[in-house]
Amino acid sequence: MKLKIEFGGGLELLFLNQRTHLIVIPSTVPQGDKNGQPGQPVDINFLVHWLKDNLLKERPELFIENGTVRPGILVLVNDTDWELEGEGGYQLKEDDEIVFISTLHGG
Amino acid sequence: MSEFCGNPAAETGEALMPTKPKFDRTRTCVKCKTNSGNLVIRHSVYCRDCFTPLITTKFRQALEPHINHVSTGPRRGALKPSGGLLVAFSGGMGSSVLLDLVHRIYCANVGSDELKGGREHPRRSRVWKRIHVCYVKTSDVFPEINDQTAQIREAVARYEGCEFIPVRVQDAFDRSWWERVSGDAASSSAEIPVDLNDGDSEPIAALKAHLRALPTPTATQSTLSTLTRLLLLYTAHSIGASHLVLGTSLTSLSISLISSISQGGGFVVPQAIQEEWISPFVKRTPETTSWSGEVRLIRPLREVSLKECTAWVWWHQLSVVGKQRVPISERTIGSLTKDFIIGLERDYPSTVSTITKTVGKLAPKGKSGMRCVLCELPTQQSVQGWKARTSIHSFADAPSPADVATSLPIYLCYSCQTTLTSKSSRSTTSLNSGSLSTTSAPDAMDLPTWAAARLAFGVGIGEEQSATTSTSTNETRESRQSLIKSLVGEFLLDH
Repeated sequence: MKLKIEFGGGLELLFLNQRTHLIVIPSTVPQGDKNGQPGQPVDINFLVHWLKDNLLKERPELFIENGTVRPGILVLVNDTDWELEGEGGYQLKEDDEIVFISTLHGG
Repeated sequence: MSEFCGNPAAETGEALMPTKPKFDRTRTCVKCKTNSGNLVIRHSVYCRDCFTPLITTKFRQALEPHINHVSTGPRRGALKPSGGLLVAFSGGMGSSVLLDLVHRIYCANVGSDELKGGREHPRRSRVWKRIHVCYVKTSDVFPEINDQTAQIREAVARYEGCEFIPVRVQDAFDRSWWERVSGDAASSSAEIPVDLNDGDSEPIAALKAHLRALPTPTATQSTLSTLTRLLLLYTAHSIGASHLVLGTSLTSLSISLISSISQGGGFVVPQAIQEEWISPFVKRTPETTSWSGEVRLIRPLREVSLKECTAWVWWHQLSVVGKQRVPISERTIGSLTKDFIIGLERDYPSTVSTITKTVGKLAPKGKSGMRCVLCELPTQQSVQGWKARTSIHSFADAPSPADVATSLPIYLCYSCQTTLTSKSSRSTTSLNSGSLSTTSAPDAMDLPTWAAARLAFGVGIGEEQSATTSTSTNETRESRQSLIKSLVGEFLLDH
């Protein structure tokens, strides 16, 4: 499954200082993967762990906390707040655009 | 009969407050009621089209009723500020949104054909003739962080009509800066009796010595905030600005309120939301009603959460320079409060707004005696007397009336006293030991120029202060007498 991932608000510094990433991930949770039920369609929680394992280069505590995105990070799914889409449980679709923006950049 | 409260001890797992659904009713925008929603703001759903007017309305409602020196209502046509506008800009999320909104509403739209009204309509004239943007640089103090002045200058240059003013945090200890901003050549050119550690009069060395003398990382963080606030206020005063706007969002305001109250700043809660400041060096009679150099410090984003600021930045494609984290311990009251409030905003978003609204209703008990020489905020009367009654740590620490009358603490608010003397493993200063005295002492600390000037010339610490001194001295004497009496009581003969 192809996805477009964007980082903003300083989060890109944790991901090779690159704002946009085009990634390909499996459409269902692979066998033996502890980040979901094997065979189930992948969701944002799976994506967050996938990003941590495959793209994140430093300080994972600034991106992930208690198995999900850290408080203070706004997540947009196709330009819509992920709270409207079921948050971490949103099932990803082909060509989805997922944006992670850190709000913790001070006042 | 079958209803009963469970036994918490027998129940497994942590008892958690149930979270409300993230949004009420439907996914349709609550404003236009036609578009599908894009953002959830405190359980309400807004579409992208309605989001922009929502934020600009909140911004204007928080700012415009306070633009005129004497409030005449929120009408745009009647907006006549007494002086210029200074925008505080750190490069962070809040100040980026603030600068964008100020420019969008008061610069870019002026003269636009889209505006209603005739050619002479007040809406077509600029509210502020001059807009300055001030950045306070801290990188000289902390070599670990990069100097971002060039990026900040570039970010400000994108907004036409805004003039950039860079200030260094060490300017707080720089006499040449003080001469420029104080507007009182007599007091600034005189020899100010500030003790300088190891005789080094470089502002950066003085600032570092000041920060080194602080007992805790919390005190360092709090002092940097105070210095930044005063640098901005004096800069605003020096350029003839009547308004200083800060990019404090609803979330940041809740954090700073809780953090400030935990550090003894309860008396100045109203000023933590909005403040009317005038330089103590400006001579002003109580009867004066016209503008005489006051700076009104306003937080126009105080109704806009950090999440809304973030969405604004993303949808309006603003480039955020990013505020660098000051490399001090993350175990400060400010940092811990921030972690708590940010988590609270995710799980219970309305509660963060409740903090600000509830604190906004609080008023301090009692009158203000004077303004603190360090932070220039109102000071509760007889702080010293109260402290002497409640916090004697040892008999040797008990102050003598003479100490109280001559040492620095009587000129400080409770919060600044706490900042300078809070106990920790590093704490070496003692409130009444004389180490913070303005007279020469081996470990005397440097003071910011405004504090040193006020102490040297007694500016703003005249009659009110004398009254405070006399009250606190009497109270201290009484408390000392009662202490001695309790110690020798069993040896006294009853009459």
